[in-house]
Formats: sequence, C-alpha cells, structure tokens
Amino acid sequence: MAAQYKSIHPVKYYRDFLAQDVRPDGRTPDKTRTVTVNANSISTSDGSATVRIGNTTVICGIKAELGKPKADEPESGFVVPNVELPPLCSPCFRPGPPSEEAQVMTCFVAKATSGMVDLKQLGISLDNLAWVLHIDMICLDYDGCVQDACVIALSTALRTVKLPKVDYDEDTKTPTVHLNQRTSVDVKSSPVSTSFAVFDEEIILSDPTAEEESLSSARLTVVTDGKSIFSVHKPGGSTLTEVQLQDCISIAKERANLVNEMIRVAVGSVKR
Amino acid sequence: MSPSTSSEAVEDQKLRPFFCELDVLSRPDGSAIVSQGDTTAIAGVYGPIEAKPNKTYIEKAAIEAIYRPKSGLPCVPDRMSESTLQHTFEAAILTTAHPRTLITISIQEMQDSGGLLACAINAGCLAIMNSGLPMRFLVAAVNCMIHENGDIILDPDEKQLKESCAVMTFAFDNVNKNIVSSSTDGSFSETQYQEAILKCRSACDEIFQLYRDIVKKYAPSMG
Repeated sequence: MAAQYKSIHPVKYYRDFLAQDVRPDGRTPDKTRTVTVNANSISTSDGSATVRIGNTTVICGIKAELGKPKADEPESGFVVPNVELPPLCSPCFRPGPPSEEAQVMTCFVAKATSGMVDLKQLGISLDNLAWVLHIDMICLDYDGCVQDACVIALSTALRTVKLPKVDYDEDTKTPTVHLNQRTSVDVKSSPVSTSFAVFDEEIILSDPTAEEESLSSARLTVVTDGKSIFSVHKPGGSTLTEVQLQDCISIAKERANLVNEMIRVAVGSVKR
Repeated sequence: MSPSTSSEAVEDQKLRPFFCELDVLSRPDGSAIVSQGDTTAIAGVYGPIEAKPNKTYIEKAAIEAIYRPKSGLPCVPDRMSESTLQHTFEAAILTTAHPRTLITISIQEMQDSGGLLACAINAGCLAIMNSGLPMRFLVAAVNCMIHENGDIILDPDEKQLKESCAVMTFAFDNVNKNIVSSSTDGSFSETQYQEAILKCRSACDEIFQLYRDIVKKYAPSMG
C-alpha cells in the first residue's frame, strides 16, 4: 500500500514521514548517510579512490602525464578534474556529450578543490615540462549528493598519487623518468563537501537521496575542512535565513572532521 | 585610525553607481540593461512561449536561463553561472501561473569588471519585471570580497579584486530579505561569511530602492 501511495503522491508521502520527524529511509532530517572510503582501488592508475555515500558511488582515477606548462604560468603544472555521469548511473542521463549537470558538477568540484595542490610543485622545468594531473571521477550509482562523493574521492585519490622523479635535459630537451623513485604530492587542504535539500521551503534534509533532491525546493552545498569554509553554494531555490545556513555549516563542519579522519585511515592503510 | 583610512572605509561600504534602462530591445517581452560601475549586462525575457516536449512540466512553467559571454561560446565555467541564474529566477517567478510553457531569460555580458553574476541577476530581475510576468518576490544581488587583510569590501571593482582572498555573491528576496542564492570563491571563516551576509543584506535595500525608482520612472510608458 505504501508503495502505491508513494508513486501517486510522493510529496504527501514525504510530508507524512517528516511530520513524525523521520525520513522514509529511517534517518532523522539532520542525519547523514554512511560514508565508505577505499583508497587505491585501481592499481593501474597513478592514484585512485572509491567513495560510497549510502548508495551513491563515485570512482576516481588520477593519471599523471608530462606536458608543456601554460604560457601564463611557466613554472607550474596543472590539474584537469572531470566528472562523468554515464547513463549507467541513473535513468536521467543519456549517452552522448556531457550533460549540463555533469558540466556544472565538474566546475563545482574544480572550484571547491582548487586550493588543494600547490601547482608549482608539479613544475619540472621552467616553460618546458610539467606534470598534468587528469582527475576523472565517474559516477556508478546516482543516489543524491554525487558532488560530495566526488570531492571526497578526489581528496582521497590525490593523497595516493606517487609521481616518479623526472630529470629534464635542457640541451637535448629530453626527460628521463625514474620509475623507481616516487614521491607523493603535497596536499595542502582537505575540503569535504556536504549537501542539503530544503523540503517544503522549511525542512532541511542533510545528505539527501536522489528522490529527496528531486522533490526539494532548494539545494545547498557547503565545502569546509572543519575550520575554514571553501564554498557555500546555493544556486537559487526557496529562501533560507542565516540561522538555517549557520545550522547547515555546523553540520558540514562536524561531518568534515569525521570524513577527513576516515580518509586519513584509508590512505594510511594503503601505504603499508 | 587616520582620517584618510576611515574615509576610505566609508567609501568601501558603498555600491558602485547603478544605471538601468528598461525596454531597450524591441523583440523580447521584457528587457533591461544594467551597469554597476563598469560591469554591464543586458537581459531579455521571452515568455511564456511553447515548450519542447522534454522540457514541459504539467504543473509549472519551465525556466531557461541562457548566459552569453562577451566573446566566444559559453564554456564550462559559464554553465555554473547559468545554473545559478536559472534556479534564482525559478524561485522568483510564479511558475505555477503558466503551466506547460517555457520562459527564457537570455543574459548577454557586455563588460566585466567584477561582480558580473550580481549584475546579471539584477538585469534579469528587471527584465522579468519589465515583461510583466507574475513574480513571488523580487531579487537583488550584491557582490562582496574579503580583502587579504580581512576587511569586507562591498561591490569591488577589478582593481580591488586583485587583492581579494575570497569573493562572494548573494541574492536576497525583497519580502523577508532572506538568502535566495549564495555563491563563493576562495576560502574564509564562518564569522567572515556571516558578516558578509549582513553587509550585503543592508546593501540590497539600496538596490530595491533603485528598482522602485526605475519602475516609477517607467510606469507611464509601461502602462
């Protein structure tokens, strides 16, 4: 009976649950889902991680390539993050060029994680050679908060990257790669993203599922490392007061500390 | 504090000069050109028009925001401003009044010297007002930055932005003055964020007053 009721009137179905201060999956409105972090899941990549938030699954692989530095920053390398939402992850996506949502998500993840790596350490030879990190995040299961999973996966994968030592001969213009001498990338900050959905213009749901996201009247994403904030992204939708925003920021900060601890343990277990 | 720095501080609390003209284009149902300092954007609204079958909602109008940069085609970062614009206008327009239709808001960047997203939201809102579409509330957006020394500067220009460690844009509604959209760049603390909201909120009153003046000026010709 509940299943029929839900498909006929999904909003009322949610309203009935939320009147009792509980969500259909058993969580209270402010409770987030379980996060699972696995570091170095792809052995053939230079760095990788798999992250699950409830059912949402994102796999991230980093490929390091030698390239020519950009003309305006000759001493640094660069990172190229990309989020892919293939048709496999949700019925909302069709094969073909990246959907608008994937493009927006790529841009959001790139902005949120822009301060993590000092790009100067990726430079090898001034104006000649630098590391280019291609960071690909592929969503395998789209069940809400994919951007959060992407940021956590990127942060974990970046910590598992080991770049080989490269000597560059300026005269012959040839690089020599020492595959057995590898160093990890110095990661400066550890941003963790937490998303919220506003239901019926007043109830704030932490870490919403895809269903809750589609029924919501507004969405909000906070990126923080537990102390400083890197982004508060609310692209329109129903309005929020500062107090509501403040509550979301405190939930996000608490979760950031937990997730960062989880990333530390996951990365630590790989190094052994 | 020396007198010169205090007068500078007062200067920083002001918005750049705001100019607006409505009905600048003949084809759209509503249009507006807005310049805040040297940042200029032009907006046109078409709607309600027929929607494509895959973009039709049975209970409300679909809102489409198109953002065009000054030169070249829109690229990936522009998609993010486009999504912010779309969701902001979706909240402001009473979409349930025109079910199964499409409302298109096109915004063309004319010049960017800081705070383009805020200028685009303001231009879009004025164009919607000009088109006569029913709205839930009006929106006004304010841009601010956090200086390297921790000061919060309202509506900075390109020169000031070079010394910023974070840039934020907020949009507020005119009914309860709550936050409709927030987009940030760079890192900052929670107190700085709260302070920035408070400053931008008091500045948005000025923009709503400007909206009122503009409507008064154009009311005879719009009737």
